Amino acid sequence: MILFYMMIFAFVGAFLIYFAGKSFPRIKEILAVVISFLLFLFVALLYGKDFQINYHNFLGFHLFLRINMFSWLFALTITFLGFLSIIFSLSYMKDKKNNAFYYMNMLFVNIAMLGIVLAGDLISFFIFWEIMSWSTFLLISYKKGSALPASMKYIIMSIIGSLSMLIGILYLYDLTDTTIISQLSHIIRFINKGDVIFVVILFSIAFGIKNAVIPFHNWLPPAHSEAPSPFSAILSGILIKMGVYGFLLLFYVIIGLDIIFHLTGLTIVLNVLAAITIIFPTFLAILQNDAKRLLAWSTVAQAGYIFMGITYGTELSVAGGIFHFLNHAIFKALMFLAVGAIEYRTKGIRDLNSLGGFIKKMPFTFAAMLIGAMGLIGLPLTNGFVSKWLIYKTLILNGSPFLAFAALIGTWGTILYSYKLIHNIFLGQLPAKFENIQKAPFSMKMPMMILSTIIIFFGILPGIPLQFINKIIVSFGYHPLNVSLFGIVSDSGNLNIINILAATFVIGVLIVLFFRSGRKSVRVDQYDNYAAGSFIPKEKYSYTNSFYAPLDRFLNSFLKDYIDIFYCKSAALIRHFCNGIRKIYTGYVGSYVMYILLFLAVLIFVQLNWSVF
Amino acid sequence: MKEITYINPVLLIAVPLALAFIIPILKFVWEKSIKWIPVAGFLFDLIVSITLIPIVLQKNIIVKIGGTTTPFSINLVVGPAGLLLSIMISLAGFLVAIYALKYIQEGDKTKYHILFMLLLTGAIGVVLTGDIFNLFVFFEVLCISSYALVGYLGNRAGIESSIKYLIQGSIGSSLLLVGIGLIYGQYGTLNMADLAAQIKTADSISLFVPMFFMITGLGIEAAIFPLNSWLPDAHSSAPSSISAVLSGIAIEVGLYAMMRILFTIFAAESFMGFLLFLGVITLLIGEMSAFSQNNIKRMLAYSSIGQIGLIVFAFSIATASGLSGGFFQMISHTLNKALLFLATGFMIYRTGSMEISSFRGLGKKMPLTALFFTIGTFSIIGLPPFVGFASKFLIFKAALAKQELLFIILIAVIILTTVIEGAYFFRIIQTLYFKESDDKSSKQESAITALIPMFIFALLILILGIYPNWIMKFIHSAASELLNKMSYLRSVLG
Repeated sequence: MILFYMMIFAFVGAFLIYFAGKSFPRIKEILAVVISFLLFLFVALLYGKDFQINYHNFLGFHLFLRINMFSWLFALTITFLGFLSIIFSLSYMKDKKNNAFYYMNMLFVNIAMLGIVLAGDLISFFIFWEIMSWSTFLLISYKKGSALPASMKYIIMSIIGSLSMLIGILYLYDLTDTTIISQLSHIIRFINKGDVIFVVILFSIAFGIKNAVIPFHNWLPPAHSEAPSPFSAILSGILIKMGVYGFLLLFYVIIGLDIIFHLTGLTIVLNVLAAITIIFPTFLAILQNDAKRLLAWSTVAQAGYIFMGITYGTELSVAGGIFHFLNHAIFKALMFLAVGAIEYRTKGIRDLNSLGGFIKKMPFTFAAMLIGAMGLIGLPLTNGFVSKWLIYKTLILNGSPFLAFAALIGTWGTILYSYKLIHNIFLGQLPAKFENIQKAPFSMKMPMMILSTIIIFFGILPGIPLQFINKIIVSFGYHPLNVSLFGIVSDSGNLNIINILAATFVIGVLIVLFFRSGRKSVRVDQYDNYAAGSFIPKEKYSYTNSFYAPLDRFLNSFLKDYIDIFYCKSAALIRHFCNGIRKIYTGYVGSYVMYILLFLAVLIFVQLNWSVF
Repeated sequence: MKEITYINPVLLIAVPLALAFIIPILKFVWEKSIKWIPVAGFLFDLIVSITLIPIVLQKNIIVKIGGTTTPFSINLVVGPAGLLLSIMISLAGFLVAIYALKYIQEGDKTKYHILFMLLLTGAIGVVLTGDIFNLFVFFEVLCISSYALVGYLGNRAGIESSIKYLIQGSIGSSLLLVGIGLIYGQYGTLNMADLAAQIKTADSISLFVPMFFMITGLGIEAAIFPLNSWLPDAHSSAPSSISAVLSGIAIEVGLYAMMRILFTIFAAESFMGFLLFLGVITLLIGEMSAFSQNNIKRMLAYSSIGQIGLIVFAFSIATASGLSGGFFQMISHTLNKALLFLATGFMIYRTGSMEISSFRGLGKKMPLTALFFTIGTFSIIGLPPFVGFASKFLIFKAALAKQELLFIILIAVIILTTVIEGAYFFRIIQTLYFKESDDKSSKQESAITALIPMFIFALLILILGIYPNWIMKFIHSAASELLNKMSYLRSVLG
């Protein structure tokens, strides 16, 4: 019952924050931090446990909570990032009104996600999924103004997804007479393929919407950019990964390896969708001028990598997919927090064209952003390298050159937009109005520091997380990977971080020697560095303005989010149609009476002539 | 067998009816007390109904009044289905009466309270009677008092929609009466069980014609498309406490009467397929019309049409689980819609406008009212852990259990309507909480007598959402009573 008490404790805690926050303003922050930390601690202590409990009976369905390695890893990531972003919120939300409401919903989202990964049956999975949806809606709306249409888009997509999942669950229930995951995985083999595909499609709509796979991605960019930054970190880092969890659960736990990859065409379709999800959002990210929107598109693209990994279906790719989920959660959260720190100090500016030169003013944030971007690109010695290596490796080894090419193009684009982000915020000239900008406060630095450390740590010692992942993929029915502390040994080539470490060290020494041997460099002022010492008025030029302009001109004509346009058009059409329908109620009582009499007359007429009833 | 003693269910109708006519006398004696009369009356009904539950779960209670043997006397049949609705009616009546203590400030209050009591007494009569002519009489009591209450405020919109309602409602009543007359002419009896015994199943045109007349007549009050044109006007111009009862109770009682006639008397299974489509169309049209409304009460009224469509759909599945889903959806709709209308009442009172855009920032100014409103909307959309989820879940489950392609397509349409529903309700939530208002006036909550009923409704929504099992046994027996014609016959005719 410990899992159940944990959930109850968390829900009660969330309410307590709200009501305590009304009367004692300070206590809610302390409570939020303490509760989220305790949750993290609880989950961490559950390491290695494997059991399930029946906690409730809902309309004849037995509801279960369960824990095993698979849900533990996700639960740990959720509670850990939840804890860090609540710490980050302490200063981010300081001057905002109504932050008791914010903290309560923040906890709700975290608990709901925890519930999703701990759910032992599909009904509780669905219930927590819905609680997550509406609390997310409230949090995205929090900033008001332009956040409102963004959250509207989110909740509508979300309702569509969750209802199709509900139908999938009930359809599966009619076929198998159970909703308990551990039983489903035994029974599913007796169901015919057509039904399985139908269920997979219904669930994929729900998970695809959460995971922002094209063509279900359009809610994500506005929602991520309009949400409060600590919540963007959660949203991007783990909330959309509930889709990943769902896919893993459906494909590998419920349906199982030996069935899912024998469904003709399914994996090909999913792989192609993943490739599209990698390429287009990457280029759209390059075109963005809003820091958070850029990161949001990047999230869509990275979710594509994860999706590619888990749908490709080899040991390496699934391990890579799960590892990339973990890594992406860490570095994307870090980058959102870094942008959040900038936003906090500049009083809400995210426009990349009007920032610049913050490297001297906020060096710590710069370092964090740099490490995050390195992880995102997948440079060696960061965690992103290992997971991307796994995915590339398997794509090339198994002869999927086009998918591998898509992944490579994605990485190329990732370098471009990551550089744009770093350059436009931290390099170049500091605009005059930001001369008095201060460093990030400690409560913001601390989460960023922890996350940066983890990126490097996992980059050098990938064996630690990979051991957990190894256990997960073994439970899916794969052969274990041969993991050592520093890398992976396989027949087709080894990954050993020690070699890379040595190579990096040697190259570093060479670079230092090369520059030492050259001429002494001359230090110039931050405002001088582009004009080579000659005087140009400060306000005249800013290199951060329209970065990548030629590329922008070239791509802009091709890259529109046609899918979003399509959705908006259909929404407008439905609205128009609804207005038309309303005209049935003319307001003229004569026509109403006519409806009544016509109804009766038609019924009698039909029965007299054709006797249908 | 040991005879169990219980309170005579006739009192469920007699007490409120008597109290309603005491009100005008009491007016001369002690005017302050009249607003407490409905509270007392429906509290009595609620308690009596609840004490009857264990007895009714074993066997139906038959009460004979002023007659000799069963088919020839006027009788009440208190089965699980009727009792379930009578509990809902008295619960809503009790809570709305508390709400009205402060809410009703203008107009002739004596008339308001009399009509309010008559409306709900008529509703209880409809659900408990075992005789179609009595059904008609109680139905008229319900309808006539609601015509009067719609125009209660006496403004132009109220009078106009009251007249419109009156015209359509009386056409409905006369059609119903014609239908009853045709049946009586053929079989010479008005007792439902007796009729049911004589009509095995509807097969000849001489049965279909009266059935169509009765369906059309009752369908007007039940707000089935295309018979529901009176509803948006009437529900939006009535005082909010009355809208709550009209939306939450009156149309459901109409629907119950219709289903009782279809299932018990005619056993017209082939007609159910038609009602299935009619339900989905009603749902679709209701939700689509609500989508672009700017007037909150009209929006809620159209949403009621949609909900009724969903209930019709659930009943027309015509399986035990479908009927359970329908009954559960009735309960959840009563709770949700009553809560929404009650909360809206004070929000309108506060802002002086029914436009949704004028509700900006009410989340700050009336935090509790706005919170209750939010709970109501979440529940009506069907989000867990609220009761609306449990009821929609049951309906989906029942429809999918049929395992036919038709039902999957209809479910897809229902999903579309839920999305539309979500879109307009979430828009109101955003207006309440996330839009700044221009006027900076301070916090001013609804009256405490209004908050208490809202709180109880919200609590019930939450509790039944988490523990739906508590009422499932009752609902199952209600569903099987309505579905199983033979057991109804046996219990009445012996």
